[in-house]
Amino acid sequence: MSAAHHLPALAIVVPLVIAYLMPLFDRWRRGWCTPAALAALGFSFAASLVMAWQVMTHGPFSYQMGNWPPPWGIELYIDYLAVFTALTMTGVSLIVLVYGSRDLLHELKPHLLGWYYTLYLLLIASMVGMALTNDIFNLFVFVEICAIAACGIISIKESRECLEAAFKYLVLSALGSGCLLLAIALLYMVTGHLNFTFIAQALPEAMRLYPNNILAALALLLVGMGVKSALFPLHVWLPDAHSSAPSPSSAVLSGLVIKIYAVALLRILYQVFPDSIFEVTPVLTILLVMSSLAIIVGSMFAVVQEDIKKMLAYSSIAQIGYVFLGFSLMEISALTGGILHMFNHAMMKAMLFLAAGAFIYGTGVRRLSDLKGIGLTMPVPAAAFTIGALAMVGIPLTNGFISKWFLVLGALRGGQTFFAVVILISSLLNGFYYLPIIVNAYFGEPQGAVAEPKRLPRLMQAPLVILGFGCLLFGIFPSLIIGLASRAGQALLGM
Amino acid sequence: MEDLIVRYVSRIVVPFVQLFGLYVVFHGHLSPGGGFSGGAIIGASMILYALSFNLAAGTKKVSHDLSLILESSGGLIYAGVGLAAIFLGANFLGNKVAGIPLGTPGNLFSSGTIMIITLGVGIKVASTMITLFYSLIEGEQKTDEHC
Repeated sequence: MSAAHHLPALAIVVPLVIAYLMPLFDRWRRGWCTPAALAALGFSFAASLVMAWQVMTHGPFSYQMGNWPPPWGIELYIDYLAVFTALTMTGVSLIVLVYGSRDLLHELKPHLLGWYYTLYLLLIASMVGMALTNDIFNLFVFVEICAIAACGIISIKESRECLEAAFKYLVLSALGSGCLLLAIALLYMVTGHLNFTFIAQALPEAMRLYPNNILAALALLLVGMGVKSALFPLHVWLPDAHSSAPSPSSAVLSGLVIKIYAVALLRILYQVFPDSIFEVTPVLTILLVMSSLAIIVGSMFAVVQEDIKKMLAYSSIAQIGYVFLGFSLMEISALTGGILHMFNHAMMKAMLFLAAGAFIYGTGVRRLSDLKGIGLTMPVPAAAFTIGALAMVGIPLTNGFISKWFLVLGALRGGQTFFAVVILISSLLNGFYYLPIIVNAYFGEPQGAVAEPKRLPRLMQAPLVILGFGCLLFGIFPSLIIGLASRAGQALLGM
Repeated sequence: MEDLIVRYVSRIVVPFVQLFGLYVVFHGHLSPGGGFSGGAIIGASMILYALSFNLAAGTKKVSHDLSLILESSGGLIYAGVGLAAIFLGANFLGNKVAGIPLGTPGNLFSSGTIMIITLGVGIKVASTMITLFYSLIEGEQKTDEHC
């Protein structure tokens, strides 16, 4: 047993330990906070990379907590989807934290920085845990950690609107957690197991004996995960929460947090519930309708926004719709597209929020119409914003194009042309609200604060450059990541 | 608030409450209760003390720095026990497989790492309750000054 064998546990535990140490560092060794947080996330990212390599070369493997075999102990199962998600979470959050280490100095009161890192590390550790775990109650524990940490990094600014948004999020996500807990209880009641694999084995028999319990569990699960991942009619908390939080928080919340619940739902739907559930209930149709509505309505809301971060937040509602659309079309290309879009959207939305944060840092302007000529005075963030916006619209050579291509391909192959049309209409809408900003940014006359922005520190420019480069890299050479995504999709569909 | 009866009663009750809290924590692996319930009892005893005297008297017993250290160390004990198992050659949180002696079931010192973990949880919960209480009180005092 080498050290690499323990990486699944260490990828979760190391950020947790550093998160616990952070208040002590903050009190007595304030200078250590930022390096320690970066080191913890760097370790998690490296561990995810090694795990990805192990999975690609030797196939999926499992890790048993305390050497207790599955029906009794908690099992971490590291398969293609798990490493893909863990890589997305740790990679993007690491880049965002580099940006945050400078940006937060002006957004937060100095004594809160250490606590922010605590919450941030807890958030990332819980998301990695959700990606890796194969135990449904363990999943619930991570969901709770994630929800509380997410509320914390929204409300930490202590302004009136932050607190209001965080409270709204707290109440709604508690509702989601409650639904989820009930669903888990119902599943445990009829199967007697908490491990995904064992529940999946027991469910076909239980379906025959207690069909109503399982239908109720499925409904509660859909609502619980739907609230948490802001699927369309349950999205009301998202715009306020994501627009009022500090920019690094917005970037991880929009880019990562809402995705992880989608992944958890995907895993439970495909790996735990038997295939016959899709014949008994129209669950996939419900998801398809909700995601199509999310795609159209989210984009329509985004068009009318005046505040740059609010617009990005509404755009996230539309984008989570794409992810769910890919997950529910029951077709391999669409599923690959959905999984891929999760990664791509994490990168581009994080970049857009960071660029918006850079505009606010430099000029203090949040209104879209006041950002005229920003491309001339703040070239780096404006260029990043442009790349992100083009990727959102799905222009070729950006990563957004690749995932949309797969989604449309999947919809057409599945014979559901309607959803291909939905994606195209939404792309047009995306163009409708992103492109005027770019045109304004480069061809407008800079006025007021926009004409003489504060200089952007290098540590805030570098993450934008890396993310922008990444968007183009995965747009031009998508094969780097498609292999993992399509294998994850194949494993889920049992191909 | 000056109330002689409340002060006297709480002064007598607090040690017993704390002793019972410690009992629940240390017997976490043997009887109902454990780290969380025992920690909550200990935390409640400190809250009772601070309520019946005043905040200054409470912070004199458990200062902010101390509760900060306890809070972090509670979590670190848990994680540390898990990591120790990895160093001993088992998986994370391994107990018997890591070669830790389990003792006789039913004895106070038995069950290997479970007892240490319960102690960590107890410390964490007790200090968190105290910190939460202090934060609420201090927040109220701050807003009072504003008004």
